Amino acid sequence: MSVSIKNDLYKSHESRLEENIATFADLLRQEGLPLGTTEMIDALKTLDRIDIANRSEFKAALQATLVKSYRDQALFSRVFDQFFIPPEEYQKRSEQKASYRQQLESQINQADNELMFKGESLQLSLNELQQYSSLSQQQRDRLQDFMLKTEKGKNVESGFRPLLETVVKSHLRYCRTQEKYKQDSHNYGEGSEVGADSGSDDQNLREMDIEAIKAADMPAAEQLLQKLSRKLAVKILRRRRTGPRSGPLDLRRSMRDNMRFGGIIFNLKHKPKRRSKQQILLLCDVSASMKQYSTFVLHFLLGLQEVVRNLSCFSFSDNIENLTPELKGRADLQHILDRVIRQSKNWGGGTDLGRALFEMVRKYPDLVNAKTTVIVVSDTKTVSIDYALDELKKLKERVKRVIWLNPLPVVYWPDYRSVNKIGELVEMWPCSTIAQLEEVLTGRL
Amino acid sequence: MTMVLSRLRKKLEKVGYICDESTVLTVFLALDLQKPLLIEGAPGVGKTEMGKVLAQILETELIRLQCYEGLDETKALYEWNYQRQLLRIQMNRNLEDEQIREEDLFSSDYLLERPLLKAIQAKKPAVLLIDEVDKCDPEFEAFLFEVLSDFQVSIPELGTVTANNIPVVVLTSNNERELSDGLKRRCLYLYLDFPEVEKEVEIIKAKVPGVGDRLAWETARVVASLRRQQNLRKKPSIAETLDWARALVALNRNRLDGKLVADTLNLVLKTHADQQYFNKEIGSDGVEKMLKNTENGGDVCRCQ
Repeated sequence: MSVSIKNDLYKSHESRLEENIATFADLLRQEGLPLGTTEMIDALKTLDRIDIANRSEFKAALQATLVKSYRDQALFSRVFDQFFIPPEEYQKRSEQKASYRQQLESQINQADNELMFKGESLQLSLNELQQYSSLSQQQRDRLQDFMLKTEKGKNVESGFRPLLETVVKSHLRYCRTQEKYKQDSHNYGEGSEVGADSGSDDQNLREMDIEAIKAADMPAAEQLLQKLSRKLAVKILRRRRTGPRSGPLDLRRSMRDNMRFGGIIFNLKHKPKRRSKQQILLLCDVSASMKQYSTFVLHFLLGLQEVVRNLSCFSFSDNIENLTPELKGRADLQHILDRVIRQSKNWGGGTDLGRALFEMVRKYPDLVNAKTTVIVVSDTKTVSIDYALDELKKLKERVKRVIWLNPLPVVYWPDYRSVNKIGELVEMWPCSTIAQLEEVLTGRL
Repeated sequence: MTMVLSRLRKKLEKVGYICDESTVLTVFLALDLQKPLLIEGAPGVGKTEMGKVLAQILETELIRLQCYEGLDETKALYEWNYQRQLLRIQMNRNLEDEQIREEDLFSSDYLLERPLLKAIQAKKPAVLLIDEVDKCDPEFEAFLFEVLSDFQVSIPELGTVTANNIPVVVLTSNNERELSDGLKRRCLYLYLDFPEVEKEVEIIKAKVPGVGDRLAWETARVVASLRRQQNLRKKPSIAETLDWARALVALNRNRLDGKLVADTLNLVLKTHADQQYFNKEIGSDGVEKMLKNTENGGDVCRCQ
């Protein structure tokens, strides 16, 4: 083989590897890893310096250049293992993909043949046909039966087709939503795949839905929360301590400090700018679906007590209850919340957010002032949403700001009127995992 | 400084710094790409030691900048020697025929070099260790950007000072606060975790002269077990493991038992709460049970 052909081959391999790394970096960005051009350039530079055929060396080199934080390492590892697969595995997956594609094609053709009206297939998208193929036989028979009866109905012309298509599409959408809800509640209720395998480490616990954290992992989760709230406390403390040049010039201290220089002022001293501690009011929804989330947020914020001037905690379901005195004694949070639930007359009858907010302002007006940051932990599922919105508006006018932590997965938010309405009024953030909780509270407080 | 991966691996082993392959590779890439290396991890895992060891391997000077809250450029970069300037002005008053110019007072003769400037102006590439960078203020972190990306600093009176030789920069962080993306972007990243038992045994044998096989294994096993306890406030670090092993060798012990562990616990667990937790939840009996498991093959002990 001539030298020029060899060089061309090498160049073509090299450019393919660079393309692959660019694609890999793109995947990491989609997963939430912040990656810039500098990191990409560094990663490409390492290729000349390592044995790229050595998988562990290749992985370590990419990790050193693309990952800049310990908590992103697990994500990197997962994406790397899924993207850079060995040749045998690649071959196997290609064959599986080809076979799957064939199977899918035949399913879609079958679906196309089954969903006919007046001898012509319905105008459905590929996704919809695929959705139909994934239905159980019973569901498909029922749908076909419906279509047959419709076709045989009186005065049913070809112009009826669009209406029938709409009905079929709605039905498929309904089935898809039902399936999604069922799958999600299965995953969240019984523990995710990662948590179920073995003792969850910190990174898995951070990414796991809070409700899915098992009793065995609770001590580790509480430890993690303490670590995170300590970090946030350091951040708040640092912010409070002012820099050397923050306030106006302090002439007296400047002159005193410079007497050793014979009165020549070399060092200027400034008056420190005082920053007051934050005042936080936490309102936790303790309805059945919310209890575990509320416990976790309480844990997190309790770690901030030394840096937050006034942390007041209240629970609400049907009425409001002040938890602050008991929490100061560092009592077991789960027991406190269990007691609140037991003593509640109407617990289980639905959350009444509007009433809770009304009582809050009426009974504790001194806690609801212009210096207070209100944090509400709730999935917004409440009775009398309009009344709740009115009370929330009134509360918002009295306080510094309102932060809403919603543990409902973000994909479901558009489906709930209460979420949309409350989201228009106050800033709402997801908090179904410890990682989200950390991100919100570290960024917002 | 040219370095080959295999040579770096051998040199690290020779100076007694035991680490895994990915750590060696990351350090090698930092040296070869001439990029700063940011090392994060719990206290006592060997972050600062890496800086010292690199200076030893590369046979160059170690310049250390210990970060703390309130650190600013006068302590980190440079300061004018005011006292000397004042003396010069005073002396000049007595010499009528000599006029002193402002440029004379702001020359390199009156400049006190602090670690960053010293590292940039070193005649030979030095190792600059910026220790515990998470303790400094975000403002100082931003100040480091110019140094870390271009290896130059701006001194208003003297202009831009560019590095004669690019230093090897090692930054360490205990992750007490989140470092800015700007700083991380300019560095290669390395996370040092607590080692596995086998690795820790190697470290003990390399660093503690006179330690027997059995003692090294049992010490590593006990410490690993303590690290797995969720409720400890401060997990024992490698430094504490080594101190403990040295103390046991000084006491002429060649194996552990429950009572000995309980008596020397303060070398490993440094808070009263953790010591109380150990006494309550584990105690001497727990240690004996665990050591017995090791003997029965619960964990491979290569002692003889």
